[in-house]
Amino acid sequence: MEQKSKSSALTLGLLVFGALAILTAVEFIIAVTINIWQVLAVIPILKALLVFYYYMHITRLFEEEKDQNRASFAYKLATNRIGLWLFLISDSFIFGGLMISRINLLGLTRPDLIQYLGLGVTTILLISSFFANRAEVSMEHGDQKQFVRCISLTIGLGVLFLVGVIGVEWQLAPFGPETNLAGAVFYVMTGFHAFHVLTGVLFLGIVLRNGLHGLYTSDKHWAVEASAVYWHFVDVVWFFFYPALYLIGTLAQ
Amino acid sequence: MRRLYSIGLIRGILWQILGTAIGVGILTGIRAISGLPAWKAESAAVFGALLGALFFLYGIGAVDDWIKVAAGKEVHEPDESGWGRRRYFGVSYDHKVIGIQYLVLSLVLMGVGGSFALIFRSELASTGLQFLTLMEYNTLMSLHGMVMIIGILVGVAAFMNYLIPLMLGARDMAFPRLNAFGFWLAVPASIILLSSMALGGFDTGWTGYPPLSARAPMGVQMFFLGVSLAGMGTVVSSLNVITTAIRMRSEGMTGFRLPIFVWGSLATSLISLTATQLIGLSFQMVMFERLFGMGFFDPAKGGNPILFQHLFWFYSHPAVYVFVLPGLGIISELLPVFARKPLYGYKWVAISSFGIALIGFLVWGHHMFASGMAQYLRVPFMYSTLLVAVPTGVKFFSWLGTLWRGKIVFPVPMLFVLAGIVVFLLGGLTGPPNATIATDLHLTDTYFIVGHFHDTMFGGYIFPFFAAIYYWFPKMTGRRLNETLGKVHFWLMAPAFIVLSTLMMRIGILGMRRRIADYDASLNVTIDHRVMTVAGFLVGLGILVFMINAFWSMRHGEVATGNVWNSRSPEWQVPSPMPIHNYDKPFEVVGEPYDYGLPGSVFVKFKEGE
Repeated sequence: MEQKSKSSALTLGLLVFGALAILTAVEFIIAVTINIWQVLAVIPILKALLVFYYYMHITRLFEEEKDQNRASFAYKLATNRIGLWLFLISDSFIFGGLMISRINLLGLTRPDLIQYLGLGVTTILLISSFFANRAEVSMEHGDQKQFVRCISLTIGLGVLFLVGVIGVEWQLAPFGPETNLAGAVFYVMTGFHAFHVLTGVLFLGIVLRNGLHGLYTSDKHWAVEASAVYWHFVDVVWFFFYPALYLIGTLAQ
Repeated sequence: MRRLYSIGLIRGILWQILGTAIGVGILTGIRAISGLPAWKAESAAVFGALLGALFFLYGIGAVDDWIKVAAGKEVHEPDESGWGRRRYFGVSYDHKVIGIQYLVLSLVLMGVGGSFALIFRSELASTGLQFLTLMEYNTLMSLHGMVMIIGILVGVAAFMNYLIPLMLGARDMAFPRLNAFGFWLAVPASIILLSSMALGGFDTGWTGYPPLSARAPMGVQMFFLGVSLAGMGTVVSSLNVITTAIRMRSEGMTGFRLPIFVWGSLATSLISLTATQLIGLSFQMVMFERLFGMGFFDPAKGGNPILFQHLFWFYSHPAVYVFVLPGLGIISELLPVFARKPLYGYKWVAISSFGIALIGFLVWGHHMFASGMAQYLRVPFMYSTLLVAVPTGVKFFSWLGTLWRGKIVFPVPMLFVLAGIVVFLLGGLTGPPNATIATDLHLTDTYFIVGHFHDTMFGGYIFPFFAAIYYWFPKMTGRRLNETLGKVHFWLMAPAFIVLSTLMMRIGILGMRRRIADYDASLNVTIDHRVMTVAGFLVGLGILVFMINAFWSMRHGEVATGNVWNSRSPEWQVPSPMPIHNYDKPFEVVGEPYDYGLPGSVFVKFKEGE
């Protein structure tokens, strides 16, 4: 029974990842062919809803209380979840402000960037999110080995994403932050996001270290859940930033 | 020396100085290695200040437990019972200590900001420049605005932290460590904000609009950084408040049995949790514009200065509701106590706080009627602004209904509550002329706005805030503030303030511009300015009396350990000062919170034998 629920949870993660991958591919094809911005704006919302529901377990916030005892772990856990989500709501206002600035300043134009590179880093982040979910599911079912493997992969892919954006994209971009408006918007958006990716990598690194020391069990692993949810959130932000920077509109002058 | 170092605050400041020096060094080193001209004062100052704030937090020990958790060690709640007075100068997780720390920081900041006001108020007593240069005037005027705002935010956090767990019957806030972190972030942030004076000051006003702020002296960077950091502090504090109010309520405390102050705090926290990020973002974007040449708000690069104003006011208008909603909550909290009558229309008052908060998100454009915003946006913003009057009117109606035929008594807290209502009414009634486009085009950027704003701030925050201090001082210390000195404070401050703000509005209508160091003698407002300067000093004198009173009463005040005001609220049912872990016995809510004067009604019942 235990084994079955674990494998079904892993299968679900895989299915969601498949849907996200298809949506990302469709998004890219639409962008390079017909480029209707309305469609490109809806696809990230669909992707975000999928992640909210399946990867970030938003429904856990509304679960019936099992234990009314304030000192119990279950009660504290539910409180922590509310705190984390409030933080994410707060954080999303920064990214929302950046999106509004981008829309206001660039409108239906986009910076002159290599679209395939954008697709590449997006894919990397998407796969890392898949492994973050797998790590969390493994921990829920007490599979320490798979947890360590998956979370290491998540961290590796996160670092690869950072290298892709800062090490490659920032160097290859034909403009600096001071050159023009497109440059300013591009660097501030990727910069804020990369900072969040960096904190996420550090958070996951701490969780990996403590996981190797065997500090988490299948019942008590709030840090694992929190780091995974935070990681998915960073991923969701990129769902919106990626089309806004790489796909929507015509090239800015 | 070692004893001094063991005091958290001093340790933190030493670490902050160290961090700043290291930050300046690192940045200069990086610039030298990468072949740039090594010394760039502005970048070095920003990076140094940022690192200094982080070092402060580490040095004082606000992040110790998180480092332990990250290193896989167990953390325990410290036993603070033997720490004595030292608890107040270092990291403590007790929400009551943090509340008092916030309160003291708030009084310090408002004292500093108020003194700035008195300095430039004296300068304005005559035309021409007396003893300040233009830049000094502008710096003081700008800092008065922002230091006061941070002081108010900190004061709001003080009462939210102190009162909410007590009112809900919780042992502490939901996240005590985060709570301490939020407070100790405000300290280096305030230091950084004030350090802008040493770095050339700035002349932008508290709004920091580009393109002016993009070419102001370097002090403006410290202003932006300090406000951003303080903003992060309010974000974590409001996160804590919301979680606490959702999760830590006593048995039987349903939504419509929550104290009004908690409702107001929830609405406030909702705003500061979300909108604060946008003022942080807008300020950081100007910082980047100055540091990296990014042209967001630079028309020469195709940027849009109006965008800054949208981002800025999206927070800064709701921010005034952040300031007043807890204050209005305090008014609703205290009125029934002193009128000995149930609060009139409890449910409507509770909902009206959220009404104000939600409408408050939709009105920011009324600050930009004259700034070149798109024409078609002006009318919707006018109507949404006027709509704020509806939930605010609900509150006034409730206050009048509560006072009507009450058995009113007039101790000092009640005096401040009544003054708060009167002054807030003045502030409220002078709002619609600013909200209506036709009149606002005449009034915008005049002293009329200044008078209106100070009326709302004093009525919605300062007077209720003092009422709350007089009211809850016995709970905090076990002693009462002296009534006579309290009355002196009140009668110095309230009439003088009303004269001050009314004259501000008068000279505004006559054409006196705001934010300027000098004015034309032919405006014929010199005599008004003189009267205002005297009134301003009377307000300051009143607050000085209060400070003396507070210091004296802490040691020598009349001992008051019981239910001084005959209140129904749970915190007054146990002896003062509050024990370390709040209530020994949990309580259950069995009735309505404000049924004063109804025979046999009970709000909370303590559970025996547990």
